Amino acid sequence: MALLWRTLVGASAGRGRLAGLAGLGVVAVLLGANLGAEAAGGSPDQGADLVSAYGLSLLVPVVTLVFASSVLGDPSEDGTLVYLWLQPVPRWQLVLTALGAALTLALPLTVVPLGLAAAATGSGLGLVTATVVSCTLGVVAYAGVFAWLGLRVRRALLWGVLYVLVWEGFVARAGDTVALLALRTSTRSVLAHLSATTAAGAESSLLVSVAILLLAGAGGFALAVRRLTRHEVA
Amino acid sequence: MTPVVELDRASKWFDDVVAVSEVSFSLGPGVTALLGPNGAGKSTVLRLVCGLASPSQGQVRIFGGDPRADHRLYRRVGLVPQQQALFDGMTALRFVSLTASLHGVTAPGATAAEALRVVELDPGDERGLETYSKGMRQRVKVAQALVHDPDLLVLDEPLDGLDPRQRARLIGLFRRLGEQGRCVLVSSHVLEEVERWGSRVLVLAQGRLVAEGDFHAIRDLMEDRPRRIRLRSDRPQALGAELLAAGAVAGVTVTGPDAVVVDTVDGAAFGRMVAPAARAAGARLLEVVPLDDDLESVFRYLVGR
Repeated sequence: MALLWRTLVGASAGRGRLAGLAGLGVVAVLLGANLGAEAAGGSPDQGADLVSAYGLSLLVPVVTLVFASSVLGDPSEDGTLVYLWLQPVPRWQLVLTALGAALTLALPLTVVPLGLAAAATGSGLGLVTATVVSCTLGVVAYAGVFAWLGLRVRRALLWGVLYVLVWEGFVARAGDTVALLALRTSTRSVLAHLSATTAAGAESSLLVSVAILLLAGAGGFALAVRRLTRHEVA
Repeated sequence: MTPVVELDRASKWFDDVVAVSEVSFSLGPGVTALLGPNGAGKSTVLRLVCGLASPSQGQVRIFGGDPRADHRLYRRVGLVPQQQALFDGMTALRFVSLTASLHGVTAPGATAAEALRVVELDPGDERGLETYSKGMRQRVKVAQALVHDPDLLVLDEPLDGLDPRQRARLIGLFRRLGEQGRCVLVSSHVLEEVERWGSRVLVLAQGRLVAEGDFHAIRDLMEDRPRRIRLRSDRPQALGAELLAAGAVAGVTVTGPDAVVVDTVDGAAFGRMVAPAARAAGARLLEVVPLDDDLESVFRYLVGR
């Protein structure tokens, strides 16, 4: 499966795509550095606010969306999925390898810049640790969901952006119940608990938030396997 | 003995469009050509055989199992799909090695290199697949279908984009594989191409299996069908009258000072009678042109039988 993983990583990692998404990460680091410069030894709340507003609300879902939705979605749309589908390999292994490829690309482009941004705010190691953990969990959760979305719909990128911006950005703010259906709520909650800040908002307990994120990732994975098994390959 | 491929009243429809309707056949070792005009449902049948699509109705089995349900069956299947897309950015060797590796072939790199040599491609070529011509991409697809030495080889228009030499070479290769006991199912819309496979033929038209059997029997059936033929002669009216009197044609239309169009009911009988009729009419026969000798008209005839 290592060759398949390398193939999928290579197919997903266009230079333009990597450069654009790395640019978003650089912006995060610059914002962190700016905050750190403005308020030397700044408050953890301000740093957590930055990580939450820019990192967990935008960078993590968007970067993960780009890679996870395309890792199987692009082959499905361009017709190369047939070369994966016709292999004597369990479907769950194909999806797991595809998710591994998406995580390989998405994690460094989110966790590293956001970790650096958190460090640059000067808010301390607690925020850096909380940022790394919440980002990682967020990437895992979004990857499962968006991998399924890539197989389920055409133009998954567009649908994913609508989910991130419209659902998570606006609709999920309407009430606590709806907010639970937004992964952002859980990533922010993990950040708030682990950094002991209030800015990000700890809507549910740490355990519940972590469980929701892991379940979302696993659920998306299971749905993607089911979808691939039933997929009609062009 | 379990057939390699078995379709039992298999149908496939997309919304209200019927792509394949109640197709039944079974295949064993040897080459079988799936012949039909564009849009006849050939690719859909091949997709059903490979499990890439599930039948809306009926059953599809390969090696006695359901190709949609048992991915292990793919260990014995090689497919050359119709679509041109390959993993751009990869070399041909890496692409074919991927299939070899996922099929558990020992020494996948060396085996992939050998498969590429079989189709006359250079395994050491470092260029990405996106730089390859259509014919080269076609050969890469054939190499990846052969690399794990499958028992069932499914080829969707495999000669598309190849030059005559490569066509002849691949036809020879597939015929040898059939003779060695592999089941080779190949689709084509080119009658002359299918003739060269020298194989059993399944004729598909408008989603239905309209004829099945040895190529020569199908060819005879096509030869014997009614035809419309234009004759050029210095005495077209006399020639037409003689053909009518001899019962060689069902209708005659003089279309010009040196041309007559006749409707035959039996193409083969007409072929035998036209020269004697011209002689009897004292007419010089300048040209005989079938007006409906294209594949489409052959298929229309077979569908209408």
